Amino acid sequence: MSGGDKQGIMKAGVGVYFCSCGTNISENIDIDELVRFTSTLDTVEYVKSHNLLCSEEGKNYLAEDIIKQKPDRVVIAACTPKEHEKTFRNVLQKAGLNPYLFQMVNLREQVAWATSDKSSATEKAKSYIRAAVARVALQEPLEEREIDCNTDVLVIGAGPAGMEAALLLAKAGRKVYLVEKNSFIGGRVARYEEVFPKMECASCMMEPKMDEVLHHENIELLTCSEVQEVLGFLGNFVVRVRKKAGYVDKNKCIGCGACYDQCPVTVKNEFDYNLSDRKAIHVPYTGALPNVPVIDCMSCLRFEGRSDVYKQALDQGLITKREYETFKAEDCRLCKEACLFDAINYEDKDEVIEREVGGIVVATGFELFDPSVLPQFGYGVYPEVYTSLEFERILSQTGPTCGKLLMKDGREPESVAIIHCVGSRDKDFKDYCSGVCCLYALKFARLVEKHAPSVKVYDFYADWCVPGKDNQAFLDSIKKWKNIKFIHTTLPMNVPVKKRNGKLSLACTDVSNGKHVVSADMVVLCPAMVPAKDTARLSELLLIARGKEGFFAEGHTKLAPVSTNMEGIFIAGCSQGPKDIQGSVAQAAAAAGEVLSALVPGRKLKLDVLTAEIDENACAECRICIGLCPYNAIVLDKEKNVAVVNTVLCKGCGTCVAACPSGSARSRHFTTEQIFAEIEGVLK
Amino acid sequence: MCTGRIDPQFVLKAFEKGADGVLILGCHPGDCHYREGNYNALRRFHLLKKMLDQFGIEDGRFRLDWVSASEAEKFVGVINDMVKKVKALGPLKPAPPLPLSKKKGRGDIQAEAHG
Ligand code: FES
Repeated sequence: MSGGDKQGIMKAGVGVYFCSCGTNISENIDIDELVRFTSTLDTVEYVKSHNLLCSEEGKNYLAEDIIKQKPDRVVIAACTPKEHEKTFRNVLQKAGLNPYLFQMVNLREQVAWATSDKSSATEKAKSYIRAAVARVALQEPLEEREIDCNTDVLVIGAGPAGMEAALLLAKAGRKVYLVEKNSFIGGRVARYEEVFPKMECASCMMEPKMDEVLHHENIELLTCSEVQEVLGFLGNFVVRVRKKAGYVDKNKCIGCGACYDQCPVTVKNEFDYNLSDRKAIHVPYTGALPNVPVIDCMSCLRFEGRSDVYKQALDQGLITKREYETFKAEDCRLCKEACLFDAINYEDKDEVIEREVGGIVVATGFELFDPSVLPQFGYGVYPEVYTSLEFERILSQTGPTCGKLLMKDGREPESVAIIHCVGSRDKDFKDYCSGVCCLYALKFARLVEKHAPSVKVYDFYADWCVPGKDNQAFLDSIKKWKNIKFIHTTLPMNVPVKKRNGKLSLACTDVSNGKHVVSADMVVLCPAMVPAKDTARLSELLLIARGKEGFFAEGHTKLAPVSTNMEGIFIAGCSQGPKDIQGSVAQAAAAAGEVLSALVPGRKLKLDVLTAEIDENACAECRICIGLCPYNAIVLDKEKNVAVVNTVLCKGCGTCVAACPSGSARSRHFTTEQIFAEIEGVLK
Repeated sequence: MCTGRIDPQFVLKAFEKGADGVLILGCHPGDCHYREGNYNALRRFHLLKKMLDQFGIEDGRFRLDWVSASEAEKFVGVINDMVKKVKALGPLKPAPPLPLSKKKGRGDIQAEAHG
């Protein structure tokens, strides 16, 4: 700022306007007295009052009067700035005065409505006016800034929510980068056979969507990829994604499967929760999309990672010591030789891909609460106890038993017990209801009825949580099946699973005090849904908050269910909280809508005006501000040895300003001098 | 602006200019609109409180509390309580100067070291 400007501030001619807000203000404050008092203040050039400044007539009057009187600064004493600060700033702008050379005094909420005695209210109002008049003299003109924005979008997670958001955005013409950590898309749903309540075939439902995602020209799908770094803000994010080497060229591979037929290494298939085997080069299940195998370098003979796997195999006695040693450093090329299309590339490397986007949708899904921490259920001890997701795989045509209801030992069970609310609705574990378990438990019953109608099903439930227009009918229809028995317990967590005479035995007391002892061949647990493992890491990376259960926190429970504390970053699906596919897809559509309205091609983004700045002549490079800034908006200029505020990232909280020991950090519009002036004005 | 912007000097200035009490109200911990400004305010509050104590400014005259925009009742309660306490304490009296002979200031120690 030049010296001339400073002088201008000193002789500030302030125009003060009082609004009586109908009678809201004038009823309890003596406006005539205030006008008289205000005109005695040093820097005040003129004082006016009006009945309703925010009305059309009032605004026109204000604009015309400012043009006529040419004040240097303006104080308006009216209602709360929350209501009309913006209104009056616009009027000032129209009248040719910088909108930041203006201060508002809240006479209505803070004085007229809060202080009952008229003469003390009037006195209180005087001190507020004094403060505003003192402060406004020190205010500086500030310019609104606008920047261009990028309208491309990053979508993290290619489950039903991520795919929906990506497709909607792509169809609206946006470029979408869809990042998926697995080698396949579809998320958890890829593991399901049928979905409740209409018992629709899951893959028939999902495949057209997945095809669209794979082939949409606006979607760049990055599988086996993880977001590693995100910098920036709404309209201007830079993201770095690590794409892991898959060793198969997707442009050459036709998905014939010749490679995995030849692969000599067999390991457990984590896609089937280790209930089946796969090769080192593999697709997780038949029909996985994209249909391109990847080499798992932890088990492939060519890679170092395998040594752990072989060490394990050796320890378990699966291979001999000799075998273990000869496996070392093997130049196995069987898959490459089997491939007729030369698609296998052992030289493939991890890549870091950088993309610029304007918005981000996070749809990273869920995981199941680990029931092995609940010893009463014997999960991990008795092989006949399964989680719901494992059971989904058993029921699936592409699963370990090709959809036949068989246990790990190959037997068909005579009876299956299903236990609801495992780890849910219990303050020691997860105190919420996941909202889908009752429904998929019913689905399981229906699938058992379909695949093995003679099998008996025992269903241990606490309450039926089946809201929605189709679900009650679904429950009622399952109740008609003669082979199912529902056992209503208060706490399914109190249904211990024991082994007796080679069978599992479950004992409990129901709500009407009836005793039940059920023997079952197979037990299926319905554990609480918990956030996917990556949620914590992503929350740090994206600076988005999580709630106490670890799911991403929405902006507002009712009114902003897919926004986050970071502008431009939206959440959808189970990463926000447990829900069904329908809810996830609806949220994805909402998130896509948010992105479309926040980022419009050709429209510029307004930046915060009230940011911090650092005087490079006074900065002593102590770096205190850098550590304190909650938005990582301050960096060190290594050449000048001073801290510099990135005014695009800065949100103007002022934390750095209060902490700066040399006084070189300033808050625009909230400078220390301005605040001092205000304090002195109030207390004079 | 946020409680994180509150420079301890603002509080000192207020007392200097004759305020009988200073009340800082911020968003609840974990709920700061600017993420964590209120945690910084809390740290500064404790330090400043120690200092005010040494100036002879009584406990009830300086307070930090958390009130969200939807907590009208709490807001009213905190304000009334503060007003009641400050009224009971009466106007702020300037503290009598510390008897210098009893307490050694930094200058005295330096003087000794040099002497
Ligand atoms: S915005 Fe930080 S305390 Fe309210």
